[in-house]
Amino acid sequence: MGGDMSILTRLRKEASRAWAIGWKDIRVYYLSPPTLMFGVMFPFALFFTFTVGRSLSITQMLPILFSQTVFWAASTVGPVVIPLERRTKTFDRYLSAPMSLLSVILGKSLAGVVFGLLVSVIPFFVGWLFFSLQVVDILLFTLGILLSCVAFAAMGIMFASIPTESVGNIMMPMNFIRIPLLFVSGIFIPIESLPWIGQMVSLFSPLTHTLILIRQGLGIAAYPVAPVISVAALLLSSLLFFFVSRQFHEINKRRE
Amino acid sequence: MTSAISVTSLTKKFGDFTAVDHISFEVEQGEVFGFLGPNGAGKTTTTRMLTGISTPTAGTATIMGHDILHHAFAAKERMGVVTDLSNVYNDLSAWDNLIFTAKLYGLERHHREEKAAELLDMFGLQEVRDDNVREFSGGMKRRLTIAMALINDADVLFLDEPTTALDVQSVRTIRRLIRELNENGTTIFLTTHNMQEANELCSTIAIINQGKIGKIGTPEELKQAMEKMHSVEVAFESGRHSLASDLEGIEGVREVQKRGDKFRLFTLTPPDTLSGVFTFARERGLRILSINTLGPTLEDVFVELTGEEIVHRSNSQTSKKKRRK
Repeated sequence: MGGDMSILTRLRKEASRAWAIGWKDIRVYYLSPPTLMFGVMFPFALFFTFTVGRSLSITQMLPILFSQTVFWAASTVGPVVIPLERRTKTFDRYLSAPMSLLSVILGKSLAGVVFGLLVSVIPFFVGWLFFSLQVVDILLFTLGILLSCVAFAAMGIMFASIPTESVGNIMMPMNFIRIPLLFVSGIFIPIESLPWIGQMVSLFSPLTHTLILIRQGLGIAAYPVAPVISVAALLLSSLLFFFVSRQFHEINKRRE
Repeated sequence: MTSAISVTSLTKKFGDFTAVDHISFEVEQGEVFGFLGPNGAGKTTTTRMLTGISTPTAGTATIMGHDILHHAFAAKERMGVVTDLSNVYNDLSAWDNLIFTAKLYGLERHHREEKAAELLDMFGLQEVRDDNVREFSGGMKRRLTIAMALINDADVLFLDEPTTALDVQSVRTIRRLIRELNENGTTIFLTTHNMQEANELCSTIAIINQGKIGKIGTPEELKQAMEKMHSVEVAFESGRHSLASDLEGIEGVREVQKRGDKFRLFTLTPPDTLSGVFTFARERGLRILSINTLGPTLEDVFVELTGEEIVHRSNSQTSKKKRRK
């Protein structure tokens, strides 16, 4: 029994439930004033910390601002939400609802994606209004922003899936990874000036490919990697993060 | 007819500790099945496995014929779940909690709004429907939790300690509702450590202890065991052991146990035994230090029904059982 539902019907049901989770998270957690303040202020604060005093033109700075915005906005809130919901047992509601674990993870990530996209509108308007920002290749620019939001939201949810009810236990390993990524992805140090091993490591960082796609979208010279490779890298990173996240949750279910 | 719940050799281990140990049982459709046991017996762990929250270490279970592991989607569509905690979203209103749950169960827009309004009415939450749940009392949150579990008109409803820590009025409301739901055909799986509640609501009762089912029986068996376990506990100034055999002669007393400096007199008629103890003391010139009538404890009833003693596992995770002498 139980196999009498068409794949399309099942997919439709899974998608609508994932969206329900995502939309609920946006309303409850992401649109709260502290989260909005964080989402808007933090990337700008980090941006100014590392760019003021350096002899960079605004066209060189804007891709860094975009990359940082999607990186921090999409990956930060999810890891706070899941341990909180584990503690209040509201996470159990998803596990006992008729939907797959993957849909729960996608729903949770969806909120991060939407938040990342919304927040990235701010640097876009700042660049457009004050610095004559011009998007040369809309497709690459849009793919860069969108796929990066997916990848970083998935990364946040992956860390959030670590079996713990404590936010601290998630933030520590996550920042242990996130902060070094800033230094190997061309955000503060150009990839070209890294030693060859650093350049190799850099190619494994999804943030590198975010910056490459955004730079190419804005018509700025980027590290010489074909856009298709950057798109594939971001897609593969997202799949990997979703897969690891699902595995963590399966482990949780076996342990609980 | 397919069983509402069918459990075969279900097991849950946490490392070396076996929380649920190869339990098997069937719940017929339309039944109120009581899952009775002390804290730490494995009740909640079993419920969590049956509702898909936790993965069993071994064994299988089906809900309305759907395997909980291999056809989890279909199984979960047929069930509603009330966990032991009121797991509501504190930052949403009562209305939004219900609508969100309805979306998780795939209800169409007009149906979910109709159903949410009906449940708010049923649980007396209509006036506070737009209030933030954070402001609700424990009883209101519990009622909302149950309302959320009813949103999908489930065939099988899992209720894990639904009345714990509630005021009398809320307890009555929830018990009345369980009866009404059952009369309308919903199968209820009720987890409780409250014997009175199990006796009052259930058609079949399974008693679980140390992860194993000690007995599956009727409320009548439970009631009889409970009646036998009423007792009078008395302490005399001179607690001589030899008094035990004399105390057995008091009217209604069927067994006397020496417990520390007290005697426990098991009786079917506590008032008669009580007056008999006073006469007994007066005739022998004994001074009574304390005297109490005691209702049956779950431990007493478990021992009466299964012949085994409850060994609490909170401190040591041994699973020894002592046979009652």
